[in-house]
Amino acid sequence: MHELSVMAYMLERVESHADRLGATKVIAINLVVGERSSFVDDSLLFYFEMLTPGTRAEGALLNLRRTLMRCHCPPCDTDFHPSGADFRCPRCDTVGQVTDEGTELLIESLEVVT
Amino acid sequence: MSGPTVKIVNIVESLLINNDLAADRNQRRLAEAGVLTINVMAAPGAGKTSLIVRTVEALRDQARVGVIEGDIAGSVDTERVLAAGARDAVQINTGGNCHLEANMVDRALTELDLSQLDLLLLENVGNLVCPTHWALGEHLKLCLVGAAEGDDKPVKYPEMFAVSDVIVLNKIDLIDHVDFNREFFLESVRALNPGAPVFEVSCRTGAGIAKWAAWLLAQRAALGGAAATTEVA
Repeated sequence: MHELSVMAYMLERVESHADRLGATKVIAINLVVGERSSFVDDSLLFYFEMLTPGTRAEGALLNLRRTLMRCHCPPCDTDFHPSGADFRCPRCDTVGQVTDEGTELLIESLEVVT
Repeated sequence: MSGPTVKIVNIVESLLINNDLAADRNQRRLAEAGVLTINVMAAPGAGKTSLIVRTVEALRDQARVGVIEGDIAGSVDTERVLAAGARDAVQINTGGNCHLEANMVDRALTELDLSQLDLLLLENVGNLVCPTHWALGEHLKLCLVGAAEGDDKPVKYPEMFAVSDVIVLNKIDLIDHVDFNREFFLESVRALNPGAPVFEVSCRTGAGIAKWAAWLLAQRAALGGAAATTEVA
C-alpha cells in the first residue's frame, strides 16, 4: 500500500514542476519504476486516478517504464535475471552479485500544455 | 497570438525527492547533536521491540539511548523500552501508513532532547517492502529477520537486504526447529549485500546481544561529536 504515499509525493512534485513551467495542464507523466521497488502497476494507477481529480494532472496518462533486477556472474562474465528462488547463475550455478539495475524510481519526463 | 503548445520536458528526479530532502535535514540535525540513529526495519513479529529492549538493556550504562516507536496504533512499545532503561521514547502512530516518513520523524525529534542522547533507535512499521524507499535521516539501516520467518526472506524481499547497512538474524535458538538453512540465507544476503555485517542473536535467551551491542557502540564512537561511550551519569 506504499503506492498511495508514493503517488501523493509524486503529484506534489508534478504540481511544482507544472508551476515552474507555467503549465495549464499535464497530459502525461513518464515514470521509470525498477522491479526492485516492488511497486504494483495497478496499485500505482489506482491511487493516481484517486488523487488527480481537481489537479492539473486530472486525466493525464501515467506511463510506467519498467526496469529489471540483474545479477552479475563473475565466472561467466554475464548478467542474468535472478529466478526468484536464489541468486545463482542459470549457466554455471555460481552465486551472482546483484547489480544496481532495477532500483530506479524516477519521474523521467512530463508532457504539459503551456 | 499562438494557441496553447504541448511540450515534453525532461525531469529525471526521484519520485521521493521531497522525502529525501526532509531526511537530509533530519540527518544534519542528528549528526550535529552526535546522535547515531538506526532505522530498525523488519516484518511484523521478527522481534523489533525485543531487539530494542535488549539493546537498551545492554547499553544502558554506556550510552544514553532514545527510541522512536513507529506503529500503526498504540503505545505499549514505548512503555516497554522506557522500562528497559531508555532515556526517552516517543510514539509515532502512522494512522494506517505502512512505513515511517522523514516528516514524521522530524516531528518526533522535536519531542526529544537530542543533547541528552548518544543513540536513537527508530522502530519502523512492521513491513519488509515499504520502509526501504523512505529515508528518515538515519545513519544506519538495520534489517532484522527472525529465523522462523524462513531462510528465503532475502530472495523474496531483496531490496530490504540490499539497502541495509547491518543485518540481524534473531531467534537463532529456533534455528534447528524451523529448517532454517543458514548457508542459503547467507549466500543470498551476500549476493545482495556483500559488505553488511550479519549478527546472529536470540532476544529470548540473550545470545549474541553483547557482540551486537558492542558493534553498535563502536559505530557511535566512530560518529564522533559529543562525548560518547563515557560513563553515563
